[in-house]
Amino acid sequence: MVKNDAFKGKHRFSIFAVGLMLLFPAGLFAAERLTVGVAANFILPFKALAQTFGRKHSIPVEATFTSSGNLYGQIINGAPYDLFLSADRERPEKLFQNRLAEKPFVYARGKIVLWGLNKDLYSTDKWEKALMLPSLKKISIANPDTTPYGFATMKALQTIGQWPVVQNRLIFAQTIAQSFQYAHIGSVDAGFCAYSSIFTDEGNRGRHLLIYHAPDIIQAACILKRTKIHNRAEAFAEFLISPEAERIKQTYGYR
Amino acid sequence: MAIGEVDWTPFCLSGKLAIMTTAILLILAAPLAYFLTFSRFRAKFLCSAAINLPLVLPPTVLGFYLLIVMKPDGFIGSIWGWFSNASLLFSFSGILFASLIYSLPFAVTPMQTAFAKIDIRHIESAKVLGLSSTAAFFRVVLPNSLNGIFAAAILIFVHTLGEFGVILMVGGSIPGRTKVSSIAIYEAVEALRYKEAGIMSLALLLICYVVLITINLLNRKNGYGT
Repeated sequence: MVKNDAFKGKHRFSIFAVGLMLLFPAGLFAAERLTVGVAANFILPFKALAQTFGRKHSIPVEATFTSSGNLYGQIINGAPYDLFLSADRERPEKLFQNRLAEKPFVYARGKIVLWGLNKDLYSTDKWEKALMLPSLKKISIANPDTTPYGFATMKALQTIGQWPVVQNRLIFAQTIAQSFQYAHIGSVDAGFCAYSSIFTDEGNRGRHLLIYHAPDIIQAACILKRTKIHNRAEAFAEFLISPEAERIKQTYGYR
Repeated sequence: MAIGEVDWTPFCLSGKLAIMTTAILLILAAPLAYFLTFSRFRAKFLCSAAINLPLVLPPTVLGFYLLIVMKPDGFIGSIWGWFSNASLLFSFSGILFASLIYSLPFAVTPMQTAFAKIDIRHIESAKVLGLSSTAAFFRVVLPNSLNGIFAAAILIFVHTLGEFGVILMVGGSIPGRTKVSSIAIYEAVEALRYKEAGIMSLALLLICYVVLITINLLNRKNGYGT
Protein backbone atom coordinates (compact mmCIF):
# COMPACT_ATOMS: atom_id res chain seq x y z
CA MET A 1 0.00 0.00 0.00
CA VAL A 2 2.76 2.36 0.96
CA LYS A 3 4.65 1.51 -2.19
CA ASN A 4 1.60 2.18 -4.28
CA ASP A 5 1.22 5.61 -2.72
CA ALA A 6 4.79 6.49 -3.43
CA PHE A 7 4.38 5.54 -7.05
CA LYS A 8 1.30 7.67 -7.35
CA GLY A 9 3.12 10.59 -5.79
CA LYS A 10 5.89 10.29 -8.35
CA HIS A 11 3.38 10.10 -11.10
CA ARG A 12 1.69 13.24 -9.91
CA PHE A 13 4.99 14.99 -9.68
CA SER A 14 5.91 14.09 -13.23
CA ILE A 15 2.64 15.49 -14.54
CA PHE A 16 3.42 18.67 -12.68
CA ALA A 17 6.95 18.79 -14.04
CA VAL A 18 5.72 18.39 -17.61
CA GLY A 19 3.28 21.22 -17.00
CA LEU A 20 6.07 23.44 -15.74
CA MET A 21 8.26 22.58 -18.69
CA LEU A 22 5.46 23.51 -21.05
CA LEU A 23 5.34 26.92 -19.41
CA PHE A 24 8.81 27.82 -20.56
CA PRO A 25 9.04 30.08 -23.59
CA ALA A 26 9.29 28.46 -26.98
CA GLY A 27 10.92 31.62 -28.29
CA LEU A 28 14.25 30.91 -26.65
CA PHE A 29 15.67 29.63 -29.92
CA ALA A 30 18.05 31.96 -31.70
CA ALA A 31 16.00 34.24 -33.92
CA GLU A 32 17.35 34.24 -37.43
CA ARG A 33 14.30 35.44 -39.25
CA LEU A 34 13.70 39.13 -39.51
CA THR A 35 10.50 40.19 -37.80
CA VAL A 36 9.15 43.46 -39.11
CA GLY A 37 6.22 45.56 -37.93
CA VAL A 38 4.68 47.08 -41.04
CA ALA A 39 2.00 49.76 -41.43
CA ALA A 40 -1.07 48.26 -43.11
CA ASN A 41 -0.96 50.51 -46.19
CA PHE A 42 2.29 48.83 -47.19
CA ILE A 43 1.10 45.18 -47.15
CA LEU A 44 1.34 44.53 -50.89
CA PRO A 45 4.71 46.13 -51.68
CA PHE A 46 6.16 44.68 -48.50
CA LYS A 47 5.29 41.13 -49.48
CA ALA A 48 7.01 41.62 -52.85
CA LEU A 49 10.00 43.28 -51.17
CA ALA A 50 10.34 40.56 -48.54
CA GLN A 51 10.26 37.88 -51.22
CA THR A 52 12.97 39.55 -53.32
CA PHE A 53 15.12 40.22 -50.29
CA GLY A 54 14.65 36.71 -48.96
CA ARG A 55 15.69 35.20 -52.27
CA LYS A 56 18.76 37.40 -52.58
CA HIS A 57 20.12 37.12 -49.06
CA SER A 58 18.44 33.87 -48.01
CA ILE A 59 17.11 35.61 -44.92
CA PRO A 60 13.45 34.86 -44.22
CA VAL A 61 11.38 37.96 -43.47
CA GLU A 62 8.16 37.85 -41.47
CA ALA A 63 5.82 40.73 -40.93
CA THR A 64 3.00 41.88 -38.72
CA PHE A 65 0.64 44.23 -40.52
CA THR A 66 -1.47 46.61 -38.48
CA SER A 67 -1.85 50.34 -37.87
CA SER A 68 1.26 52.40 -37.14
CA GLY A 69 -0.25 53.49 -33.84
CA ASN A 70 -0.84 49.91 -32.77
CA LEU A 71 2.71 48.88 -33.74
CA TYR A 72 4.10 51.90 -31.90
CA GLY A 73 2.27 50.88 -28.73
CA GLN A 74 3.50 47.31 -29.06
CA ILE A 75 7.11 48.42 -29.53
CA ILE A 76 6.98 50.61 -26.43
CA ASN A 77 5.74 47.55 -24.54
CA GLY A 78 8.61 45.42 -25.78
CA ALA A 79 7.35 43.75 -28.97
CA PRO A 80 10.09 41.67 -30.61
CA TYR A 81 10.37 43.47 -33.94
CA ASP A 82 13.71 44.04 -35.63
CA LEU A 83 12.42 46.84 -37.83
CA PHE A 84 9.45 49.18 -37.81
CA LEU A 85 7.97 50.49 -41.06
CA SER A 86 5.62 53.27 -40.04
CA ALA A 87 3.23 55.25 -42.20
CA ASP A 88 4.48 58.53 -40.76
CA ARG A 89 7.68 60.21 -39.59
CA GLU A 90 6.53 61.15 -36.09
CA ARG A 91 6.33 57.70 -34.54
CA PRO A 92 9.79 56.43 -35.62
CA GLU A 93 11.19 59.82 -34.58
CA LYS A 94 9.64 59.45 -31.11
CA LEU A 95 11.12 55.95 -30.76
CA PHE A 96 14.49 57.37 -31.79
CA GLN A 97 14.25 60.11 -29.17
CA ASN A 98 13.32 57.57 -26.51
CA ARG A 99 16.39 55.53 -27.49
CA LEU A 100 14.29 52.59 -28.59
CA ALA A 101 15.27 52.90 -32.24
CA GLU A 102 18.08 54.02 -34.47
CA LYS A 103 17.87 57.07 -36.71
CA PRO A 104 14.74 56.82 -38.90
CA PHE A 105 14.88 57.03 -42.68
CA VAL A 106 12.19 57.68 -45.28
CA TYR A 107 11.35 54.61 -47.34
CA ALA A 108 8.14 55.55 -49.16
CA ARG A 109 5.78 58.38 -50.04
CA GLY A 110 2.15 57.43 -50.37
CA LYS A 111 -1.11 59.10 -51.34
CA ILE A 112 -4.72 58.87 -50.25
CA VAL A 113 -7.65 58.23 -52.56
CA LEU A 114 -11.39 58.03 -52.23
CA TRP A 115 -12.28 54.64 -53.70
CA GLY A 116 -15.55 52.89 -54.38
CA LEU A 117 -17.51 50.61 -56.68
CA ASN A 118 -20.39 53.11 -56.78
CA LYS A 119 -21.20 54.14 -60.38
CA ASP A 120 -21.91 57.75 -59.35
CA LEU A 121 -18.24 58.20 -58.56
CA TYR A 122 -17.58 58.37 -62.30
CA SER A 123 -19.63 61.55 -62.56
CA THR A 124 -16.88 63.75 -61.17
CA ASP A 125 -13.09 64.10 -61.09
CA LYS A 126 -12.93 65.91 -57.78
CA TRP A 127 -13.16 64.07 -54.49
CA GLU A 128 -14.75 67.01 -52.69
CA LYS A 129 -17.62 66.92 -55.21
CA ALA A 130 -17.91 63.15 -54.92
CA LEU A 131 -18.30 63.61 -51.19
CA MET A 132 -21.58 65.47 -51.84
CA LEU A 133 -23.08 62.60 -53.84
CA PRO A 134 -26.27 61.48 -52.08
CA SER A 135 -25.56 57.84 -52.94
CA LEU A 136 -22.47 57.86 -50.71
CA LYS A 137 -24.33 57.18 -47.49
CA LYS A 138 -21.51 55.49 -45.64
CA ILE A 139 -17.83 56.22 -46.15
CA SER A 140 -15.04 54.35 -44.43
CA ILE A 141 -12.00 56.11 -43.03
CA ALA A 142 -9.04 54.73 -41.10
CA ASN A 143 -8.93 55.69 -37.41
CA PRO A 144 -7.23 59.13 -37.26
CA ASP A 145 -5.77 58.42 -33.81
CA THR A 146 -3.85 55.30 -34.72
CA THR A 147 -3.27 55.55 -38.47
CA PRO A 148 -1.31 58.30 -40.22
CA TYR A 149 -3.47 57.80 -43.32
CA GLY A 150 -6.60 58.36 -41.30
CA PHE A 151 -5.05 61.40 -39.69
CA ALA A 152 -4.13 62.88 -43.08
CA THR A 153 -7.64 62.16 -44.34
CA MET A 154 -9.10 64.00 -41.37
CA LYS A 155 -6.80 66.96 -42.04
CA ALA A 156 -7.90 67.06 -45.71
CA LEU A 157 -11.56 66.96 -44.67
CA GLN A 158 -10.89 69.79 -42.23
CA THR A 159 -9.16 71.80 -44.96
CA ILE A 160 -12.27 71.73 -47.14
CA GLY A 161 -14.47 72.35 -44.09
CA GLN A 162 -16.32 69.04 -44.38
CA TRP A 163 -15.01 67.24 -41.26
CA PRO A 164 -17.95 68.17 -38.99
CA VAL A 165 -20.46 67.64 -41.80
CA VAL A 166 -19.45 64.10 -42.83
CA GLN A 167 -19.16 62.77 -39.28
CA ASN A 168 -22.44 60.88 -39.31
CA ARG A 169 -21.53 59.15 -42.58
CA LEU A 170 -18.09 57.98 -41.51
CA ILE A 171 -17.31 54.38 -40.58
CA PHE A 172 -14.02 54.08 -38.72
CA ALA A 173 -11.73 51.20 -39.68
CA GLN A 174 -8.82 49.92 -37.59
CA THR A 175 -6.35 50.24 -40.47
CA ILE A 176 -6.27 51.79 -43.93
CA ALA A 177 -6.31 48.24 -45.33
CA GLN A 178 -9.56 47.56 -43.49
CA SER A 179 -11.01 50.79 -44.86
CA PHE A 180 -10.39 49.41 -48.36
CA GLN A 181 -11.82 46.05 -47.36
CA TYR A 182 -15.06 47.70 -46.19
CA ALA A 183 -15.35 49.58 -49.49
CA HIS A 184 -14.48 46.53 -51.57
CA ILE A 185 -16.97 44.22 -49.89
CA GLY A 186 -19.62 46.92 -50.23
CA SER A 187 -20.37 47.43 -46.56
CA VAL A 188 -19.71 51.13 -47.27
CA ASP A 189 -20.36 53.07 -50.48
CA ALA A 190 -16.83 54.43 -50.68
CA GLY A 191 -13.72 54.48 -48.58
CA PHE A 192 -10.66 56.60 -48.01
CA CYS A 193 -7.88 54.22 -48.98
CA ALA A 194 -4.19 54.07 -49.68
CA TYR A 195 -3.35 54.80 -53.32
CA SER A 196 -1.53 51.45 -53.37
CA SER A 197 -4.87 49.64 -52.93
CA ILE A 198 -5.85 50.37 -56.53
CA PHE A 199 -2.84 48.43 -57.82
CA THR A 200 -4.68 45.17 -57.23
CA ASP A 201 -7.26 43.28 -59.27
CA GLU A 202 -9.90 44.31 -56.76
CA GLY A 203 -8.84 47.95 -56.71
CA ASN A 204 -8.77 48.10 -60.47
CA ARG A 205 -12.49 47.40 -60.63
CA GLY A 206 -13.49 50.53 -58.76
CA ARG A 207 -13.16 54.27 -59.24
CA HIS A 208 -10.55 56.27 -57.35
CA LEU A 209 -10.28 60.00 -56.82
CA LEU A 210 -7.07 61.49 -55.51
CA ILE A 211 -7.32 63.43 -52.26
CA TYR A 212 -5.12 66.27 -53.45
CA HIS A 213 -5.82 68.36 -50.37
CA ALA A 214 -3.73 65.90 -48.36
CA PRO A 215 0.03 66.22 -48.75
CA ASP A 216 2.05 63.11 -49.65
CA ILE A 217 2.29 60.72 -46.71
CA ILE A 218 5.96 60.50 -45.90
CA GLN A 219 6.67 57.10 -44.40
CA ALA A 220 9.72 56.48 -42.25
CA ALA A 221 11.25 53.25 -40.95
CA CYS A 222 13.76 52.50 -38.22
CA ILE A 223 15.85 49.63 -36.90
CA LEU A 224 14.83 48.86 -33.33
CA LYS A 225 17.56 48.77 -30.74
CA ARG A 226 16.31 45.56 -29.18
CA THR A 227 17.12 43.58 -32.34
CA LYS A 228 19.53 40.70 -31.82
CA ILE A 229 20.35 40.41 -35.51
CA HIS A 230 21.48 43.92 -36.25
CA ASN A 231 23.45 43.00 -39.39
CA ARG A 232 20.43 41.46 -41.01
CA ALA A 233 18.18 44.34 -40.00
CA GLU A 234 20.68 46.76 -41.50
CA ALA A 235 20.88 44.72 -44.70
CA PHE A 236 17.12 44.93 -45.02
CA ALA A 237 17.10 48.66 -44.27
CA GLU A 238 19.65 49.21 -47.04
CA PHE A 239 17.70 47.03 -49.43
CA LEU A 240 14.54 49.01 -48.64
CA ILE A 241 15.98 52.15 -50.26
CA SER A 242 17.94 50.41 -53.02
CA PRO A 243 17.07 51.03 -56.71
CA GLU A 244 15.73 47.49 -56.95
CA ALA A 245 13.31 48.13 -54.07
CA GLU A 246 12.34 51.49 -55.56
CA ARG A 247 11.14 49.73 -58.71
CA ILE A 248 8.97 47.37 -56.67
CA LYS A 249 7.52 50.23 -54.64
CA GLN A 250 6.74 52.18 -57.82
CA THR A 251 4.63 49.34 -59.17
CA TYR A 252 2.38 49.89 -56.14
CA GLY A 253 2.15 53.63 -56.57
CA TYR A 254 4.76 54.70 -54.02
CA ARG A 255 7.52 57.13 -54.79
CA MET B 1 -6.18 28.43 -54.25
CA ALA B 2 -5.27 24.97 -53.09
CA ILE B 3 -5.22 23.95 -49.45
CA GLY B 4 -1.46 23.58 -49.75
CA GLU B 5 -1.06 27.29 -50.39
CA VAL B 6 -2.54 28.27 -47.05
CA ASP B 7 -0.01 28.90 -44.31
CA TRP B 8 -0.94 26.42 -41.58
CA THR B 9 1.56 27.75 -39.04
CA PRO B 10 -1.17 29.71 -37.19
CA PHE B 11 -3.16 26.48 -36.84
CA CYS B 12 -0.21 24.60 -35.38
CA LEU B 13 0.28 27.50 -33.00
CA SER B 14 -3.40 27.48 -32.00
CA GLY B 15 -3.23 23.74 -31.45
CA LYS B 16 -0.11 24.03 -29.34
CA LEU B 17 -1.63 26.85 -27.32
CA ALA B 18 -4.89 24.95 -26.81
CA ILE B 19 -3.18 21.72 -25.76
CA MET B 20 -0.86 23.47 -23.31
CA THR B 21 -3.65 25.58 -21.87
CA THR B 22 -5.79 22.49 -21.39
CA ALA B 23 -3.01 20.48 -19.72
CA ILE B 24 -1.96 23.24 -17.35
CA LEU B 25 -5.48 24.38 -16.51
CA LEU B 26 -6.67 20.88 -15.65
CA ILE B 27 -3.91 20.61 -13.09
CA LEU B 28 -4.44 24.11 -11.68
CA ALA B 29 -8.23 24.06 -11.72
CA ALA B 30 -8.81 20.70 -10.01
CA PRO B 31 -7.66 21.82 -6.54
CA LEU B 32 -9.41 25.14 -7.04
CA ALA B 33 -12.71 23.43 -7.89
CA TYR B 34 -12.18 21.08 -4.94
CA PHE B 35 -11.74 24.04 -2.63
CA LEU B 36 -14.78 25.84 -4.03
CA THR B 37 -16.94 22.75 -3.66
CA PHE B 38 -15.99 21.38 -0.26
CA SER B 39 -14.44 24.22 1.71
CA ARG B 40 -16.44 25.80 4.50
CA PHE B 41 -14.64 29.10 3.95
CA ARG B 42 -17.32 31.79 4.21
CA ALA B 43 -16.03 34.19 1.55
CA LYS B 44 -15.94 31.35 -0.95
CA PHE B 45 -18.56 33.04 -3.12
CA LEU B 46 -16.20 35.98 -3.62
CA CYS B 47 -13.51 33.66 -4.98
CA SER B 48 -16.02 31.93 -7.18
CA ALA B 49 -17.19 35.23 -8.67
CA ALA B 50 -13.62 36.35 -9.29
CA ILE B 51 -12.77 33.13 -11.11
CA ASN B 52 -15.84 33.49 -13.31
CA LEU B 53 -15.09 37.11 -14.25
CA PRO B 54 -13.38 36.26 -17.58
CA LEU B 55 -16.67 34.67 -18.63
CA VAL B 56 -18.54 37.96 -18.63
CA LEU B 57 -15.84 40.61 -19.00
CA PRO B 58 -15.25 42.04 -22.46
CA PRO B 59 -11.96 40.60 -23.78
CA THR B 60 -10.72 44.17 -24.09
CA VAL B 61 -11.08 44.76 -20.34
CA LEU B 62 -9.23 41.55 -19.54
CA GLY B 63 -6.70 42.36 -22.27
CA PHE B 64 -6.14 45.81 -20.86
CA TYR B 65 -5.42 44.57 -17.33
CA LEU B 66 -3.22 41.77 -18.65
CA LEU B 67 -1.33 44.34 -20.72
CA ILE B 68 -0.73 46.40 -17.60
CA VAL B 69 0.54 43.53 -15.43
CA MET B 70 2.49 41.86 -18.23
CA LYS B 71 4.38 44.98 -19.35
CA PRO B 72 8.17 44.69 -18.87
CA ASP B 73 7.84 46.95 -15.80
CA GLY B 74 4.49 45.47 -14.75
CA PHE B 75 3.97 43.16 -11.78
CA ILE B 76 4.16 39.84 -13.63
CA GLY B 77 6.21 41.13 -16.56
CA SER B 78 9.05 42.21 -14.31
CA ILE B 79 9.13 38.89 -12.44
CA TRP B 80 9.15 37.08 -15.78
CA GLY B 81 11.88 39.37 -17.10
CA TRP B 82 13.97 38.65 -14.02
CA PHE B 83 13.78 34.90 -14.65
CA SER B 84 13.94 34.69 -18.42
CA ASN B 85 15.40 38.05 -19.46
CA ALA B 86 12.67 38.37 -22.08
CA SER B 87 9.42 40.25 -22.51
CA LEU B 88 6.27 38.37 -21.58
CA LEU B 89 4.15 40.53 -23.87
CA PHE B 90 4.13 39.55 -27.53
CA SER B 91 5.60 36.13 -26.77
CA PHE B 92 4.10 32.65 -26.80
CA SER B 93 4.46 32.38 -23.04
CA GLY B 94 2.52 35.62 -22.80
CA ILE B 95 -0.48 34.38 -24.77
CA LEU B 96 -0.33 31.11 -22.86
CA PHE B 97 -0.57 33.03 -19.59
CA ALA B 98 -3.47 35.10 -20.95
CA SER B 99 -5.23 31.92 -22.12
CA LEU B 100 -4.89 30.37 -18.67
CA ILE B 101 -6.69 33.33 -17.11
CA TYR B 102 -9.23 33.62 -19.92
CA SER B 103 -10.25 29.95 -19.85
CA LEU B 104 -10.10 29.45 -16.08
CA PRO B 105 -13.89 29.51 -15.57
CA PHE B 106 -14.30 26.89 -18.31
CA ALA B 107 -12.03 24.61 -16.31
CA VAL B 108 -13.37 25.26 -12.83
CA THR B 109 -17.14 25.29 -13.43
CA PRO B 110 -17.59 21.79 -14.99
CA MET B 111 -15.29 20.28 -12.37
CA GLN B 112 -17.13 22.04 -9.57
CA THR B 113 -20.43 20.69 -10.89
CA ALA B 114 -19.02 17.18 -11.11
CA PHE B 115 -17.51 17.34 -7.63
CA ALA B 116 -20.76 18.63 -6.14
CA LYS B 117 -22.63 15.60 -7.50
CA ILE B 118 -20.47 13.17 -5.59
CA ASP B 119 -22.26 11.71 -2.61
CA ILE B 120 -20.61 13.33 0.39
CA ARG B 121 -20.90 10.01 2.25
CA HIS B 122 -18.31 8.47 -0.10
CA ILE B 123 -15.81 11.07 0.94
CA GLU B 124 -16.74 10.75 4.59
CA SER B 125 -16.37 6.97 4.45
CA ALA B 126 -12.98 7.41 2.86
CA LYS B 127 -11.93 9.70 5.68
CA VAL B 128 -13.28 7.31 8.29
CA LEU B 129 -11.20 4.59 6.65
CA GLY B 130 -8.16 6.76 7.27
CA LEU B 131 -7.55 8.70 4.06
CA SER B 132 -6.30 12.27 4.28
CA SER B 133 -8.13 15.05 2.43
CA THR B 134 -5.54 14.95 -0.35
CA ALA B 135 -5.74 11.18 -0.67
CA ALA B 136 -9.54 11.35 -0.70
CA PHE B 137 -9.33 13.90 -3.48
CA PHE B 138 -7.16 11.67 -5.66
CA ARG B 139 -8.82 8.36 -4.84
CA VAL B 140 -12.47 9.22 -4.43
CA VAL B 141 -13.27 12.63 -5.90
CA LEU B 142 -11.22 12.52 -9.12
CA PRO B 143 -12.17 8.98 -10.25
CA ASN B 144 -15.83 9.82 -9.68
CA SER B 145 -15.77 12.98 -11.78
CA LEU B 146 -13.96 11.88 -14.90
CA ASN B 147 -16.74 13.06 -17.18
CA GLY B 148 -16.70 16.51 -15.61
CA ILE B 149 -12.95 16.68 -16.05
CA PHE B 150 -13.26 15.57 -19.64
CA ALA B 151 -15.95 18.16 -20.30
CA ALA B 152 -13.68 20.80 -18.78
CA ALA B 153 -10.80 19.70 -21.01
CA ILE B 154 -12.90 19.95 -24.16
CA LEU B 155 -14.32 23.32 -23.20
CA ILE B 156 -10.88 24.75 -22.46
CA PHE B 157 -9.57 23.37 -25.73
CA VAL B 158 -12.23 24.86 -28.01
CA HIS B 159 -12.43 28.09 -26.06
CA THR B 160 -8.68 28.60 -26.45
CA LEU B 161 -8.89 27.68 -30.13
CA GLY B 162 -11.44 30.44 -30.62
CA GLU B 163 -9.69 33.09 -28.57
CA PHE B 164 -9.18 36.36 -30.39
CA GLY B 165 -9.40 39.70 -28.61
CA VAL B 166 -7.26 38.99 -25.59
CA ILE B 167 -4.52 37.37 -27.66
CA LEU B 168 -4.53 40.24 -30.13
CA MET B 169 -4.08 42.70 -27.27
CA VAL B 170 -1.29 40.98 -25.37
CA GLY B 171 0.26 39.02 -28.22
CA GLY B 172 0.08 41.36 -31.16
CA SER B 173 0.31 39.21 -34.25
CA ILE B 174 3.87 37.96 -34.47
CA PRO B 175 4.11 35.23 -37.12
CA GLY B 176 5.03 31.86 -35.64
CA ARG B 177 4.84 33.14 -32.09
CA THR B 178 1.53 34.81 -31.34
CA LYS B 179 -0.32 34.83 -34.67
CA VAL B 180 -2.93 32.17 -33.91
CA SER B 181 -5.53 30.95 -36.41
CA SER B 182 -8.29 33.40 -35.44
CA ILE B 183 -5.93 36.34 -35.95
CA ALA B 184 -4.63 34.89 -39.22
CA ILE B 185 -8.23 34.74 -40.47
CA TYR B 186 -8.88 38.33 -39.40
CA GLU B 187 -5.78 39.49 -41.25
CA ALA B 188 -6.58 37.45 -44.34
CA VAL B 189 -9.99 39.12 -44.50
CA GLU B 190 -8.45 42.54 -44.02
CA ALA B 191 -6.02 41.89 -46.87
CA LEU B 192 -8.86 40.65 -49.12
CA ARG B 193 -7.49 37.10 -49.20
CA TYR B 194 -11.01 35.70 -48.96
CA LYS B 195 -10.15 32.26 -50.30
CA GLU B 196 -7.47 31.76 -47.69
CA ALA B 197 -9.79 33.11 -44.99
CA GLY B 198 -12.50 30.76 -46.26
CA ILE B 199 -10.33 27.66 -46.11
CA MET B 200 -9.04 28.51 -42.64
CA SER B 201 -12.52 29.36 -41.34
CA LEU B 202 -13.92 26.12 -42.70
CA ALA B 203 -11.15 24.17 -41.00
CA LEU B 204 -11.87 25.86 -37.68
CA LEU B 205 -15.60 25.36 -38.11
CA LEU B 206 -15.18 21.64 -38.75
CA ILE B 207 -12.87 21.19 -35.77
CA CYS B 208 -15.33 22.94 -33.44
CA TYR B 209 -18.28 21.01 -34.86
CA VAL B 210 -16.56 17.67 -34.33
CA VAL B 211 -15.67 18.65 -30.79
CA LEU B 212 -19.26 19.60 -29.97
CA ILE B 213 -20.52 16.32 -31.42
CA THR B 214 -18.03 14.52 -29.20
CA ILE B 215 -19.41 16.33 -26.14
CA ASN B 216 -22.94 15.34 -27.08
CA LEU B 217 -21.99 11.70 -27.53
CA LEU B 218 -20.23 11.72 -24.19
CA ASN B 219 -23.22 13.26 -22.47
CA ARG B 220 -25.45 10.56 -23.86
CA LYS B 221 -23.24 7.87 -22.37
CA ASN B 222 -23.99 7.28 -18.73
CA GLY B 223 -20.58 7.60 -17.18
CA TYR B 224 -19.25 8.40 -13.77
CA GLY B 225 -19.80 11.78 -12.28
CA THR B 226 -22.47 13.17 -14.53
